[in-house]
Amino acid sequence: MAPSSPPAIAAVGRALPPHRVEQETLIEAFRALWARQHFNLERLEDLHRAVRVGGRNLALPLDQYPALDTFQKRNDAWIRAARDLGAEAMKRALEAARLPLDSVDHLFFVTVTGIATPSTDALLVNALGLREDLKRTPIFGLGCVGGASGIARAADYLRAFPDQVAVLLSVELCSLTLQREDLSIPNIIASGLFGDGAAAVVLEGGDRRPARARFPRVRATRAVFYRDTERIMGWDVVDTGFKVVLSARVPVLVRERIRGDVDAFLAAQGLDRSRIKHWVAHTGGPKVLRAFEEALELPERALERSHRSLEETGNLSSASVLFVLGELMDEEGEPPREGDLGVLLAMGPGFCSELVLLEW
Amino acid sequence: MTLVSAPAEEELRGQALAEIRRILGEQRAAASASAGVELSQALVADIHLDSMELLTLAVGLENRFRVKLNEADSAGIVTVGDLVDLVVRRALAAAAAERSAP
Repeated sequence: MAPSSPPAIAAVGRALPPHRVEQETLIEAFRALWARQHFNLERLEDLHRAVRVGGRNLALPLDQYPALDTFQKRNDAWIRAARDLGAEAMKRALEAARLPLDSVDHLFFVTVTGIATPSTDALLVNALGLREDLKRTPIFGLGCVGGASGIARAADYLRAFPDQVAVLLSVELCSLTLQREDLSIPNIIASGLFGDGAAAVVLEGGDRRPARARFPRVRATRAVFYRDTERIMGWDVVDTGFKVVLSARVPVLVRERIRGDVDAFLAAQGLDRSRIKHWVAHTGGPKVLRAFEEALELPERALERSHRSLEETGNLSSASVLFVLGELMDEEGEPPREGDLGVLLAMGPGFCSELVLLEW
Repeated sequence: MTLVSAPAEEELRGQALAEIRRILGEQRAAASASAGVELSQALVADIHLDSMELLTLAVGLENRFRVKLNEADSAGIVTVGDLVDLVVRRALAAAAAERSAP
């Protein structure tokens, strides 16, 4: 019997919440809050402008946030919004893959911005009428790396079940984690950088053939863990919810490690960076993207989609890299061609990286 | 003519150094390490502050002394002493401006 092909990525569905707010409007809304503790407000405004985000699509209308003054209120709002936005992303992805909702065998759900039990994937079984024998894997805590890791784990699963369909759904509603009382610099930067969004990726096992003409297969994946870097990024879970941990070491670590890790990953596949036509990088922020570009010696505009995504929506944590992948797959001007290779990569709390080699 | 007496300036210098030690102690969660911070130490080369820690330090000093330290200031700041001097200069200038205000 011929071995199965690697799992295929059939489609990516993206959904942004409807409440678009421009960055300058958000800065104006934050000023009164910052003024409670800080003297030089212009400096803080500059921080919000330096992250190169033009605006965010918020889960709720801006004027509803001040009333969310407890963790429970924010998380309750998160549960409702995550279910609705997740359902939208999943419907769009399956429609683009030309698959019915009941074709899904396994749903991987990734988030780091809210908690629910039953988990959001369970709520979606009811909301979308998914099958009763659907296998569900909710994954919490991977942060920004979760989109890349989610693709890798879904692909791992489909290697065992090559006739099945898996969906990776990422929902991140960063605005509903905001700690209004935390006026620290890391929290002020995070409140300028992170946005809300959901992305669903439909993956089909290697014995199946996706409907669309051109699609990538997940040829290989690699997880890389950086020991003793636990305080570089994450949450401190406090009485009021999720308090951000964010260190200036993130871009430094990218510069120190990503080149060696990518080269080793590609070498194991008999490849080197010159063979990679498409780079799908997590939109960590302008400094992180610059670090990727310099460390990997990428051609000019190689990360243009990541920069544009950051500008349009902010950093959507685990969903960001999936938005960028969706943009690439739906590209009409110069779409990827058969045989093209791509690397999808993201980093997140641990600290760690996940690398995914794609082949069209 | 100086508008502030030497003892007042010395007092400000002491307060600025104490505030730097306090902020670094909070950031590093190791008060014993920050208590030893001296004027001659370089902020980056000796104390190993990263950009986030430097920013937090600058904002903390701005809040405590009601002064603004802008990007252009950072060029000449290498040591803790340089930073103390800058904060004292700005605080004295702010006090003078306040006194001369109508």
